[in-house]
Amino acid sequence: MGRYNLSAQRVHKHASQLLEANRISAPPPWYDTIATFPPSAILVRPIFQRPTIRKATRKPSKLFSPVKLGYEEDRLRWEYFNDHPWELARPRVLLENDGRDHEKWDWSHALCQPETREVGEAGVNAWMRMQQRSQASRPLNGEAVVQRQMWLMRHENMSEAKAYDAARKELYRARHLQETEQRVAKEEAMHYGAYFGKSPLEVGMQLEDAQWENWKAWAEKETTALKALQGSAYTGMEVDSALDTPEVAEEEVQELAGDVPGSRAGQSARGGVAVHP
Amino acid sequence: MIIRSLVLRHGRLALPRSTTPFRASQWRRCLATEAPASQIESSPQPPPSLDNASRDDSSKDPTIAQWNFFQHQKAHTSSLGGVPEPHYKPFMLLANPPRPQDITLELLLASQSHLGHATSLWNPANAKYIFGIRGDHDPIHIISLDVTAAHLRRACKVVQGVAAKGGLILFVGTRRDQARCVVRAAELARGCHLFDKWTPGTLTNGQQILGRCKKKAVNEVDEEVVGFEPQLKYSSAVKPDLVVCLNPLENYTLLHECGIHNIPTIGIIDTDANPTWVTYPIPANDDSLRCVQVIAGALGRAGEEGQAQRLARAQAGHVDYAATHGLEMPTKDEFDAAKRAQRGISEHDEDAEEDELLFEAQPDPADEDDVFAKPSSNVLAKTEDGISAKTEDEPRSTQISDAASEVQASAQNEAAIDGLTDVEAEDEQFGTLAAEDMELMSAKREENADVASGPSAPKTGSE
Repeated sequence: MGRYNLSAQRVHKHASQLLEANRISAPPPWYDTIATFPPSAILVRPIFQRPTIRKATRKPSKLFSPVKLGYEEDRLRWEYFNDHPWELARPRVLLENDGRDHEKWDWSHALCQPETREVGEAGVNAWMRMQQRSQASRPLNGEAVVQRQMWLMRHENMSEAKAYDAARKELYRARHLQETEQRVAKEEAMHYGAYFGKSPLEVGMQLEDAQWENWKAWAEKETTALKALQGSAYTGMEVDSALDTPEVAEEEVQELAGDVPGSRAGQSARGGVAVHP
Repeated sequence: MIIRSLVLRHGRLALPRSTTPFRASQWRRCLATEAPASQIESSPQPPPSLDNASRDDSSKDPTIAQWNFFQHQKAHTSSLGGVPEPHYKPFMLLANPPRPQDITLELLLASQSHLGHATSLWNPANAKYIFGIRGDHDPIHIISLDVTAAHLRRACKVVQGVAAKGGLILFVGTRRDQARCVVRAAELARGCHLFDKWTPGTLTNGQQILGRCKKKAVNEVDEEVVGFEPQLKYSSAVKPDLVVCLNPLENYTLLHECGIHNIPTIGIIDTDANPTWVTYPIPANDDSLRCVQVIAGALGRAGEEGQAQRLARAQAGHVDYAATHGLEMPTKDEFDAAKRAQRGISEHDEDAEEDELLFEAQPDPADEDDVFAKPSSNVLAKTEDGISAKTEDEPRSTQISDAASEVQASAQNEAAIDGLTDVEAEDEQFGTLAAEDMELMSAKREENADVASGPSAPKTGSE
């Protein structure tokens, strides 16, 4: 062929020709092996696997291109992640151990078992056993909801909407339990002396404060520049600068009576508001 | 910081009390996750021995005492704690690579071998290996796992067969993290490895680039044979009989040279690679290190199997492959010089009589299909490392020391006079030869054809 160099595929033929012409004394060590296990055919057109042959709308060259794979769960995934967009922000581990996860997953029991009526230690143990059984090394994410929904639709003959509601509510319950556990665990740890770093909200406030300070510095510069420009344009009385804070006349502020908490007078309201007579 | 101290937990000791008195601080130091600052001694003393029999000795030797302590601790604490579930351990792909029998679709799936490149980057030549397209915004091609498994098993058969027939296999993987699996596979298959850049011309200009590398001749059980140094000194390195390339997209020159020299190749072909570059493509994901390690491991195991077969047959006396090295039996003078050089290097005390016996024991090359000497257990001094010339790890090793340079120079002159120069020796398989040499070759080939039909008979003189 034109732009293909097929000498790699013709290795055995070449060696046979050399042997026949007595150019080499003995066959190379790979000769018999490659004769026994020849290379597979290459540059072969793939199997035709389009679903239906429509009325010649597809060009012949495109007929044999790879098909897009589609599964029933794709539509359910689309629905779920449209309704819960922040689920996509949850990190998902793609590492598989042995590729046989599907053998360990049993979608017949719920993502989170309903609460048991037993009380006391027996109740707690029963709850833990149920938790273990229901988890069964399954992940707790959107994929779990979709698979649970599929199982309910197939085996319990539920409609899509009903199965979706059942599955997602199980997920909500499981997530609620998980978050409660985490919160309690954090409290327990702090009680024993653990300390944690800043929460996301605190970090966000810190960043916002930094940006606020930046803006204030910029605004000051801009205002002075603007005033200078205005001042150079006009002559006359100086306009009060916007930067000046109004000074509070000290004599206008009345000192409140000394208030002691727990006394008969009680504690009056504190604040930054000056009381004017 | 949470400090946990097993021994101090109320009501239960993690370790049993020992008979010998000891300081509790030492146990605590070994078990606590965070040693309290007040307890750290400036000069650590050896822990007491727990082996009553050797108590006196251990008090003198701290190593024995520490060993006994470690064994006791291990015996009593290894059952504590949880047992993790079986999970993926990356180092196991190097420590215990999968065999060809262990190749399953699940293993290939877990190793991400089905993930191809973006659909716009594909090479339509490997359309047959693609299962389908997956993804909405950035669609990629999915490689068929059954196709991957079939091609990988076929490649394993080829590697095993070539190793069983005495072939030299070169494993090449030039990406950053592929060095370890390449070396491991070459170790298993007793072949060569390359994890740096392939110098263009290593095969076509081998005499220049690899002319100085160390070469040695071995017999059929991979024991070194002396006497061939003059012939080997100026020849280029032995060319591989099979090349396994883990990233063909970056090694086009290597594969092109293999095509020129008629060397079959195996390569991992991704959806954007050209399958015609290699003889045996393995359609798989070459960007996943785990996938590459699985494939390299399986091919290494296949080579190991082939080598074991070959050596077992050779030990039994069956050598069913023809010699293609082009070497001639050394003359008596060459052999004596080599033995003297070896004795000078290794300081062996060998008599001249033994040398005579040894030389007579080596059979005439014309009478045998195999030029390498058979081992004779009573006379031949075996070399310590049995690595064959064909299994040179570093083709760029330094030249062997010129202990008897004058002898070698004379041998070279002899070789030149004989008409079989180094260039011809190298290009024997694919170059032009003089008429007399062609007659010699055809005569040898007839002999090989005659003898290869049946197993070679061991010489009675050597035993």
